[in-house]
Amino acid sequence: MLAAVGGTVGCGALAVTTVRFVTAPAHGGASPGRWMKTVRLDSLPEGEPKRVSLIADHRDAWTIEKQVQLGAAWLVRKGDQVTAWSVTCPHLGCAVGLRAGAPGFNCPCHDSSFDVDGRRLDGPSPRDLDTLGTKIEDGFVLVDFQRFRLGTPDKAPVG
Amino acid sequence: MSKLARLGDWMEERTRWRTAARGWIDHPVVGGAPWAAAMAASVATCFAVLALTGLTLMTAYGASPQAAWASVHYVQFVQERGWVVRGLHFWAAQSLIVLAALHVAHGAFVASYRKPREVAWWLTLGVLGLTVAGGITGGLLPWDERGWWARVVEGNIVGLAPGLGSWIQEMMQGGTELGALGLSRMYAVHVVVLPALFAVMLLARRAITLRHGWTENNGGSSTQGAQLARNGLVAVLVLVALFAMAGAAHGAPLEAPADPMGDYPARPEWFLMTLYELRKLFHGAGEFFGTTLAPMVAGLYLALLPWIDRPGRSRVAFVMAPVVLVFASAVGLGGMAWRKDARDEVFTKQRAKADFRAAAAARLAMGGVPPEGALSMVRADPELRGRDLFDQHCASCHVLGDLGDPKKATASKLDGWGTTQWIAAMIHDPDAPEFFGRGPFNGNMPSVDVRPKDKPATDPWRPMVASDAERNAVVAFLAAQGDEPGDPPRALDEATRALGEKIVSNRCANCHLYKGDGDVNGSDVAPELLHYGSIAWTKAQVANPATVETYREKALGADLKKHMPRFDADLSPSDVDVVARWTRAHSRGLSLP
Repeated sequence: MLAAVGGTVGCGALAVTTVRFVTAPAHGGASPGRWMKTVRLDSLPEGEPKRVSLIADHRDAWTIEKQVQLGAAWLVRKGDQVTAWSVTCPHLGCAVGLRAGAPGFNCPCHDSSFDVDGRRLDGPSPRDLDTLGTKIEDGFVLVDFQRFRLGTPDKAPVG
Repeated sequence: MSKLARLGDWMEERTRWRTAARGWIDHPVVGGAPWAAAMAASVATCFAVLALTGLTLMTAYGASPQAAWASVHYVQFVQERGWVVRGLHFWAAQSLIVLAALHVAHGAFVASYRKPREVAWWLTLGVLGLTVAGGITGGLLPWDERGWWARVVEGNIVGLAPGLGSWIQEMMQGGTELGALGLSRMYAVHVVVLPALFAVMLLARRAITLRHGWTENNGGSSTQGAQLARNGLVAVLVLVALFAMAGAAHGAPLEAPADPMGDYPARPEWFLMTLYELRKLFHGAGEFFGTTLAPMVAGLYLALLPWIDRPGRSRVAFVMAPVVLVFASAVGLGGMAWRKDARDEVFTKQRAKADFRAAAAARLAMGGVPPEGALSMVRADPELRGRDLFDQHCASCHVLGDLGDPKKATASKLDGWGTTQWIAAMIHDPDAPEFFGRGPFNGNMPSVDVRPKDKPATDPWRPMVASDAERNAVVAFLAAQGDEPGDPPRALDEATRALGEKIVSNRCANCHLYKGDGDVNGSDVAPELLHYGSIAWTKAQVANPATVETYREKALGADLKKHMPRFDADLSPSDVDVVARWTRAHSRGLSLP
């Protein structure tokens, strides 16, 4: 009787411990400060998309890398306004590049294409490219770096 | 009697080993020993090779994002027999998937699922599933572009599943992104969980087939010894084939270290290309179900074959045709995806870029990978970094080598920039399309030896160089401005140099600066010629063209449409340095030190 109870309790404790270990969310994924400084406004050509890096500290479980490229964005300047799109394809997360032979963007994985305003043209992407917030400070373009849930028609932030 | 036989007898007396072995060999096999049953031996052989080479690889593998690629590179390119071990492991894994699939198809055809073999049949299906799971988890371990991107996209597909989808995705990836914990998890599953399940299922299946035979109607009976001989022969054939594949491929492919920020055209492994193509048929919400439902239906159909195939039903219609359809459509869809890619120009180009990076990274790593990892190594390499920076920041206007589009270029072509040939052609026809012709400086610089078109014929005009000797002196003198220590030596005698310098100071410096002097008309658009084409000049120009070191103030003027921008704010000083050195070296056909 005692052995049965003891065995059950012991096995239960082991099971709970190991399952908790494996299913606990990864630690250290604290989101970096979201506004990231990119390039100078006057270095952006009018109306032409330019890819910029988003630089911040990258924490991955037990490692931290200082000031590495954490993401990227496409910037398009119109006058003093800058629009930023995440390079992450809203479909399944590959990085969108420029379209070959036509203005706009294209994803190399499943061939989703978008026009110069980030609107979905063709392919499996369920929504337009995700815009990111921008502001200009001291002549520099700052981008509000965020990730969004992939594959859904609406844009919902994650993390 | 030989000593060996005497030893055998001695052992026999005590252990009865000979009797036991003979008993085993002579033991009849239920249902005979058909060659078809030896197919299981090919699966077992691949598994044994995987287990042995896998254990061997584990002795050299580092399961972290920093170490994984570097250690696999070490195995593939440096370690003694490393490429053979890795090649055997890789090709045994690919072969195992094919063999397990064939085994299933064959089993369906010969009805080896019928009572009382249902459980053995499910175990066979389970083995096929495990081979695919092994391929998926193993594909990530090198942490290269192909494996990393394929797993990221697949993780996101799992995340599309309603309900627990994103939770399962996080469990697989060890977080919201595929990182260090995701790699450790995949590794643990790949080297412990899957092989253990595989071994258990293979043994259980064998125990059942020993009892019931492989199929019901193969006629005759045979002994375990005969089966063993056939299995052995199959095993040898499989081994020979594996060595041949590993040898032909010199190991296994390894792409560049995974770069989450790159624009890699992700594709899954060949055995998932079918699903990749299938996915294209479904959009939106149907996408997850489309890609998962079809294989699930196929799997369920195979698992239920014992009940689908009933007496009175046509085997052709209910078994053969569907099985052929499942396997043929898998092969067909995969082939279609492959063919589309092969014909897609954009994909081919991106693929070529990925291959270039893979080769460059492999070459770099031969000198050892720093502890920060292979991606840091690649990003810090002046050759690769310089090329990336040029591609990203310079190639929209300039052309150099295969970078930039000659049809869209608005600034000077940089192939040969600063060399005698380039300068000679440039000072003869500065407004040629490959020089200033399509840019903001069009019409600003006169030719040294061609009368300007807009000058009336009656006006006095004399060329800036009176003879070929003078032209050659100017060209040689200007080309030498860009020389750096370590460049190939230049044959330039003092008389020529002095003549070149004299003409440059007297004639060119009417508009240009030379040693800070000149530009008598105050045009403010022609650059400094001292050290023109040197590393320092190039760096200054990239950082900010509007300084006295190169083009001066007007270079960034608003009226100078499409002028070269300054990069000192966008690029770090070290990036300016890297791109300047890279551009200068590649213009001159030199390699970076």
